[in-house]
Amino acid sequence: MGDFAVPNLLPLPVLLPLLGAALALAFRRSDRLQRIVSIAALAGVVVVAAVLVWQTDASGPQVLWLGAWQEPLGISLVADRLSALMLLVSSVVTLLVLLFAIGQGHADSDDEVARETPLSIFHPTYLVLTAGVANAFLAGDLFNLFVGFEILLFSSYVLITLGGSASRIHAGTTYVVVSLLSSALFLIGIAATYAATGTVNLAQLAIRIGGLDSGVALVLQLCLLTAFAIKAAVFPMSAWLPDSYPTAPAPVTAVFAGLLTKVGVYAIIRTQTLLFPESPLTDLLLWAALLTMVIGILGAVSQSGLKRILSFTLVSHIGYMIFGIALSTQAGTAGAIFYVVHHIIIQTSLFLITGLVERIGGSTSLHRLGGLAMASPLLATLFFVSAMNLSGVPPFSGFLAKIGLVDAGIAVGTPLAWVVVAGGIVTSLLTLYALSKVWSQAFWRPLAEARQVAELAAEEAADEAEQFEQAELDAGRRPRGTTTITAAPTGVALAVDTSPRALPRMMLGATAAMTAVGLSITLVAGPLHAFTERAAADLRQRDPYVTSVLPEQVRR
Amino acid sequence: MAQLLLLHLIAAALAPWLAKTLRTKAFPLLALVPATAFAWLLVVATDVRDGNLPTQRIPWVPGLGLDLDFRLTTLSWVVALLVTGVGALVLLYCTWYFRDDDPTLWRFTSVFTAFAGAMLGLVLTDNFLMLYVFWELTTVLSYLLIGHNPGSSTNRRAAMQALLVTTFGGLAMLVGIIAIGVHHTYSISALLADPPPLDAVTVAAVVLLLVGALSKSALVPFHFWLPGAMAAPTPVSAYLHAAAMVKAGIYLVALLAPVFAGAPAWHALTLGLGLLTMIVGGWRALRQHDIKLLLAYGTVSQLGFIVAIAGLGTKTAALAALALVLAHGLFKSTLFLVVGVVDHAAGTRDLRRLSGLGRRMLPVSVPAAFAGLSMAGVIPMAGFVSKESALESLWEEAQEAAPFPSIYGYLALAAVVVGSALTVAYTCRFLWGAFATKPGVPPTPITVPHPGFVLSPLLLGVGCLALGLLAPFESPWLMPYAVTLPTGASPEPLALWHGVTVPLLLSLVSLGVGVALFAQREAFARAQARVPALVDGERGFARTLRAVDRGAVETTAVTQRGSLPIYLASILLVFVALPGMAAVTQGRLPEVRLWDNPAQAVVGALMIAAAVLVLVTRRRLTAVMLVGATGYGVAMLFVLHGAPDLAITQMLVETVSLVVFVLALRRMPTKFTRHPDSPSRTWRLGLGAAVGAAVGVIALVASGGRTTTPVSVDFPTEAYTFGHGKNIVNVTLVDIRAWDTLGEVSVLVAAATGIASLIFVRTRNTRLSRATAKALPSSNAARGTWLLGGRTMRKEKRSVIFEVVTRLVFHIMLAASLYLLFAGHNQPGGGFAGGLVAGLALVVRYLAGGRYELDEAAPFDAGLLVGLGLLVAVGSALAPLAFGGTILETTAVDFTLWPWGEVHLVTSLVFDIGVYLIVVGMMLDIVRSLGTGIDRQIAEEQEQDEQQQETEDEPEELQTEGARP
Amino acid sequence: MTTLAPTGFESTLTPNITLVLVVVGLVAVGTALALDRSLVRVLLGMVLIGNGVAVLYLVVSGRAGRAPFVGEDPAAMSDPLPQAMVLTAIVISLATIGFLLALSYRLWQISGTDDVPDDAEDARIQRLARDDETSETYDRSEESTTTSDERAEAGESRG
Repeated sequence: MGDFAVPNLLPLPVLLPLLGAALALAFRRSDRLQRIVSIAALAGVVVVAAVLVWQTDASGPQVLWLGAWQEPLGISLVADRLSALMLLVSSVVTLLVLLFAIGQGHADSDDEVARETPLSIFHPTYLVLTAGVANAFLAGDLFNLFVGFEILLFSSYVLITLGGSASRIHAGTTYVVVSLLSSALFLIGIAATYAATGTVNLAQLAIRIGGLDSGVALVLQLCLLTAFAIKAAVFPMSAWLPDSYPTAPAPVTAVFAGLLTKVGVYAIIRTQTLLFPESPLTDLLLWAALLTMVIGILGAVSQSGLKRILSFTLVSHIGYMIFGIALSTQAGTAGAIFYVVHHIIIQTSLFLITGLVERIGGSTSLHRLGGLAMASPLLATLFFVSAMNLSGVPPFSGFLAKIGLVDAGIAVGTPLAWVVVAGGIVTSLLTLYALSKVWSQAFWRPLAEARQVAELAAEEAADEAEQFEQAELDAGRRPRGTTTITAAPTGVALAVDTSPRALPRMMLGATAAMTAVGLSITLVAGPLHAFTERAAADLRQRDPYVTSVLPEQVRR
Repeated sequence: MAQLLLLHLIAAALAPWLAKTLRTKAFPLLALVPATAFAWLLVVATDVRDGNLPTQRIPWVPGLGLDLDFRLTTLSWVVALLVTGVGALVLLYCTWYFRDDDPTLWRFTSVFTAFAGAMLGLVLTDNFLMLYVFWELTTVLSYLLIGHNPGSSTNRRAAMQALLVTTFGGLAMLVGIIAIGVHHTYSISALLADPPPLDAVTVAAVVLLLVGALSKSALVPFHFWLPGAMAAPTPVSAYLHAAAMVKAGIYLVALLAPVFAGAPAWHALTLGLGLLTMIVGGWRALRQHDIKLLLAYGTVSQLGFIVAIAGLGTKTAALAALALVLAHGLFKSTLFLVVGVVDHAAGTRDLRRLSGLGRRMLPVSVPAAFAGLSMAGVIPMAGFVSKESALESLWEEAQEAAPFPSIYGYLALAAVVVGSALTVAYTCRFLWGAFATKPGVPPTPITVPHPGFVLSPLLLGVGCLALGLLAPFESPWLMPYAVTLPTGASPEPLALWHGVTVPLLLSLVSLGVGVALFAQREAFARAQARVPALVDGERGFARTLRAVDRGAVETTAVTQRGSLPIYLASILLVFVALPGMAAVTQGRLPEVRLWDNPAQAVVGALMIAAAVLVLVTRRRLTAVMLVGATGYGVAMLFVLHGAPDLAITQMLVETVSLVVFVLALRRMPTKFTRHPDSPSRTWRLGLGAAVGAAVGVIALVASGGRTTTPVSVDFPTEAYTFGHGKNIVNVTLVDIRAWDTLGEVSVLVAAATGIASLIFVRTRNTRLSRATAKALPSSNAARGTWLLGGRTMRKEKRSVIFEVVTRLVFHIMLAASLYLLFAGHNQPGGGFAGGLVAGLALVVRYLAGGRYELDEAAPFDAGLLVGLGLLVAVGSALAPLAFGGTILETTAVDFTLWPWGEVHLVTSLVFDIGVYLIVVGMMLDIVRSLGTGIDRQIAEEQEQDEQQQETEDEPEELQTEGARP
Repeated sequence: MTTLAPTGFESTLTPNITLVLVVVGLVAVGTALALDRSLVRVLLGMVLIGNGVAVLYLVVSGRAGRAPFVGEDPAAMSDPLPQAMVLTAIVISLATIGFLLALSYRLWQISGTDDVPDDAEDARIQRLARDDETSETYDRSEESTTTSDERAEAGESRG
């Protein structure tokens, strides 16, 4: 390698996908070239991320001041252990989801569904999304973090409304508007931060916020926390998520569920540890964690669609990560990081599996699904293993992540921490309940029985919907003219034909690979946990980050 | 030991394949796996007895204290023998239990083998967390085994019941384990060697551990899952629900008894619930007609008994508990396997329909008789020996009043006698029910079982007898565990005959009462029917689950309103309540100044007035104009502040926005659906005011916090010396913070794509439709050709003056845009402003000449332009790397170029060109989508209206109408 | 631009109350609009909030001054960094407007109104809650798992 400087690699996880997006736009008439470009770009990012993980672990945070500007004038990209790890996990996930999407495109190329996911749009947008995610992880600058968010948000707006069907537009609207609001709040937070400190560089902020009046610091902390908590879907700012994610195409939902909320979680970890090390908000965050976990999982229990169930578990398990962060201990932070890694992978796997379920069963509504264990033993195995993993059943990563957090919670040992531990345990059990319902009904229940039940439900629901609408109108709860789509959306109407379609090999392969990545965490849990411990130690000490970014003379 | 587990794992992984090729012949092969483990246990038997405990340690997640630690103690050795021995025999038995063409074999073999491995791991591990790992694995695998025939909804429910109940216990146990682990150790041997003081946390942890044990071993109130689990195939019941899994709870109690038997609540939970379970189980067993269910309740009863003894905490009891575990494992698995044979042979398990089997099925009825006698505790069976010893331990407790008052000891003795009597009665009921010839019931037709099928039950049945006869030799192997308990005297060795003792008398009493109960079974059944169900765990479980579900529905109905305004409101409320309130309560207001310039107040007042008017207008366009006015006001404020770049960009953006608004809204109704003063207005206004105020206070408090000069204080000098530009804002955009700008243009790329995809739903963009004189309808060709596309517009929409002006202005605007681009580094302007101007030029062309004119003006694809721009921008960012610089590093190049002479070129200009191209591309996309695209949809719909009476034609034709010939 | 004396690069800020009030007004009205059901009104609200935030950046950039060009006296210059940030934000807001308008148009095209509808799935749950019902996937069977065991066994595979 000689004099090649590793920090020069830092912009590549952003630039490679952007370059890929540019080429994908240029080659938009050739599916083949688009595919090659996309795969190459994301594979390149995986390699770069792996090098960064190794390098940050071996020799500390890697810093690049872009444009060679004298510190702290320009923008710095920083990869410490946390960033590098997030980058590696997210790049692996985005690559595998890309393969899944390509597989889907292949399978549908002469199918009506192909129109639903126009690949000429998908590739460039997806690549821009991954660039945004990478930028958010690497940003050493608060405003640049905002820009990273905007990149990933705008591409996610496009992806979530892909195809422009009614349900996607409705769901997308909720998503877009909530995200816009969160961006506005983030901008307000940045303005306030700049007002108080005169800088947006994170390392410099770490120093300057320490010198602020505690009241001012608290205001800044709460501003940023609120903005990030929306993105991370923390209760009571989480309700938008289950309404918006489930309608998108399978690979899109998968990558959203896996990654996007975690970028918010990442931002919370980064800012809380680096900028506000002596947080006075432990109790507040513990309460938020508890409510997010419990209310989220109760949501999952009440649902009847697989995608919605998974979306609610997604919200619920964000609570675990917030729990780890709230504890403000090294073990807690390490636990949160481990949980993030686990959860990115497992949620993505489960949504990819859901995509396959949808293909094979023609629906993701539990009313209509049945007999999947017979129809595809391999898919059933993948689902079962992943479901158990998410529920925290040993020896999978969900269990390891959970004991890390419970361990940290009990070590803190305050009454509230005990309550949250109990909440986490209950959540774990209810996750198992919600997913075993899915298993029992979609996989175990014979299809014939499912059909019978669905027919009954259809009749009931049709009457019900009518009555409800009328009752609501009579009660004046809903202003007239407000449209509620009650026309038999899920579960009520029976699929005309649910003859199973063969699962395209590439989709199945990508899903299996994703699940395997999740399982492999079990094998490398020792080194991975040690890595998260070191990452957490870095974060809590703050020194490695600040000193690598800023030379002595500008640390003011 | 890890090798043995690995062997199980490999076997489980290969099992599906084995089952597919060998069918049921795979079972004997798989049986070799637990058999190997069994053999190994026999090999190390003397080591274990002598205290040379085999240990092994493989790190896994040392940071969490989770490592593959193994240690074979006497306790684990005993249970492991049972687990592996019975496991091997049951697998062998499966060969004849399953049909060769059973399509589920691949699944069953794999799960069953994996279960055997997990069970073995559970007893071998020396790490509490690993214990939990194996514990949960057995739970999950047993879930799959109980649901082996998922066609019936009852089976599925039974499986879920078992899963939830045992996982609940398991999770409680996990918390207990971690509570002990965090404060002391996860190592079981270390814990036993050096027990923690019984402080509040430890006691809580012990209780939690016991909850896990009780749920796993199906004690009241968790007992109901076990009978439900009889939905599993019979070999599963024989293994999991007799020998293996249900023993896990007992194993845990026995494991902890040496150190925690003195903990408060320990005896209440083990002895109290154990004996209650013994009676409840026996009671309910007597009510069953299905002989398998009868056995299941019998198992519940026995498990309660064993837990009670194992939890007692004396040396004698410990010895008895081990003997009980062995005896019970043997007789109960025998009986279950017998039931499987009977079920297959006779086609029923209903004791009211079974008749006359005993004599016709001697190879089965004989081992059943052995096992039955053992279960009833009749001499000389193993069951007798162990029960004797259990009674002895209770009697001893009552005599010595240690470890608890003797009154409880006597009560416990009484309970055991009652429980034993019930056991005797249901044993009789079982043997009679399965094998007796019943008056009035015709002999059940049977098919003779394969000799191999009866081999396993036969061996196990003989084992019941052998273990009893060999009782005196048994003790030395079990004793090392017994002596680890702190209380009580060294126990007497197990023996068939201790002389006439109190326990023997009690045993005889219970035998007599039991037989009497059976003899008077009809009277007793009537009596039973009159007693209401004492403990109905299943109903309790169902109620709990229903309550959870109802709670979930109610909670979700409240928290998940499905309404966007409510979601926004909740977010905003948090914003007001947290940062807003913090600013009000924790912040100090700084000194303020009124204004920099009075004009700010004037502009500001106008802006607020315009904003307030938006609230009351019902017309869309008015609202748009008013919002636009505030935007221009912002531009004015920028001017007043000394920010000309911002002002220019804001003006342009505002103008573009207005056009775009008009284009997009032209098809929508001119008025909003609802009047602005709808009922919800009050709270919206209130929340709006609160949010506004919060932002204001935050701004004040944060500004007041400033104590240092901003980092940008160095920008003026650095911008020129390092960035080679005089316009500091532009240098910031394309150089100092060029990375932000790169991100921002990526946003534009995504947005442009998205806008196009929403209008042209199926593809990113449509074919260009350039107008040619020939191809187009020339309704008004006579009116001149200032703009080629103009001819395609309807007559009344054309304006010659507009066309002429457009023709002239277009190129001027393009030139201006280029000027802004190139001059931007030193003067106000830059790629954004330039791109926006160029975009506006295109907008003007479109407005004047319609969609064909736009394609005339920009005969290329917007996506391509955007892609090219991104390529240029990213390329210019990467280029410095090739020259040994840093990404995005700028240099100035001076050279002579005719006719300009000396040119001072800053490389960041290339980046700005990329920005320019992207902005133009985005503008083109916007106009193509919201302008042309909507035009087309209008045209299509009009066309459709015209063709309404005629046959419906696909509008496809219209889309291609203007395609290049 | 009459005030030349102080600089934009102050180590203390004395916020301009006029601008703060403009921010408060724009954000308040914008928020109230954003809470409407009509997506176009929501968009307008977001634009107003965006304008308010742009002015907020003026508040935090200190005193007004000369345009930040090299050659001006740095002491009389306005702070260029917030300006660069606002410029980024402005351009993003243009992208927002374009996208949301396309979205509103599509919404109108689909449902004949630009009102954002309530979520249908959530309405189902609310119906269940109103009727005191359990969730649709809840196993309502009251049957004991053991009493019907015989029936279950009849379907068991045996060989």
